[in-house]
Amino acid sequence: MINPLRPLNAMLLVLCAGFSASALAHNPMCECKAIDAEQIKCTGGFSDGSGAPGVTLDVIGYDETILVPGKLGPDSTLTFKKPGAEFYVLFDAGPGHVVEIDQADIEAP
Amino acid sequence: MSKDIAAPQPSRLSLFWHKWRFHLNVLLLLIPLGFMPKYFADEALMRGDSGLGEREVGEVRIGPWSLRLAELRNSAPMLEGPAGYMKGFNAALCEACIDQVKATYLRIGKPRSLRAAGVIFFGTPYRMGASLPVPEKTRADAELWITMEGWDGAMHQASIPLSQASPATIAWLNKQGGKP
Repeated sequence: MINPLRPLNAMLLVLCAGFSASALAHNPMCECKAIDAEQIKCTGGFSDGSGAPGVTLDVIGYDETILVPGKLGPDSTLTFKKPGAEFYVLFDAGPGHVVEIDQADIEAP
Repeated sequence: MSKDIAAPQPSRLSLFWHKWRFHLNVLLLLIPLGFMPKYFADEALMRGDSGLGEREVGEVRIGPWSLRLAELRNSAPMLEGPAGYMKGFNAALCEACIDQVKATYLRIGKPRSLRAAGVIFFGTPYRMGASLPVPEKTRADAELWITMEGWDGAMHQASIPLSQASPATIAWLNKQGGKP
């Protein structure tokens, strides 16, 4: 008599083998878009698909002054007013886990 | 009335299977042998038995310190999901600086600040690893910047041309053309 569990076990084995080798790195990611002439919205996250609520996102001037010290909201986004001075956005998930976005790389609305 | 039913003729597939199943199973056992050389080469590379990486870049002086840099693989950056193209580098700190250096960072282009010094090397100081994001718009004359931070708060930086650090990356950048 065929054990009804056997096909299930075989399926499980195949699934385990299939997913075992995929050790996922999670690199920080950040994307900024201008939503209108005044506002910029940045979304942070990690390449494994997880969000980044509460992670620091600072808007820093070219002279290294922090123009907007911020933290991402529960939806992993932060919207801020476009500063008058030249700036870049720094998504800072810890030392060595940062993403820099220059103002020149921010998409216009 | 006879109830005899003629035995169904076995299919050709069934005949083939019954004749060759032993040999086919031996073949299945032999297939993995073909992958063994690559497997052992990869194991040696990951364990460090075959050196720091596939291609040694050499010793780089960073202020009072130095490190030995190597490309993990002598190949173009690899696409790692939505974070973009990544290039693996390994490094070993100089014997004298192991106790002094707190962190080592790697970045394409000069860092604006210590906070934005790039990706951090992790692992033992004798064999650290870092996965460097390589934007597709990177210029072929870009420089690879190494930032080292000491436990005493000191920061030292040095750069080497990307063409020296990874000719395979430059070849990849040239091949795909300068992306905007």
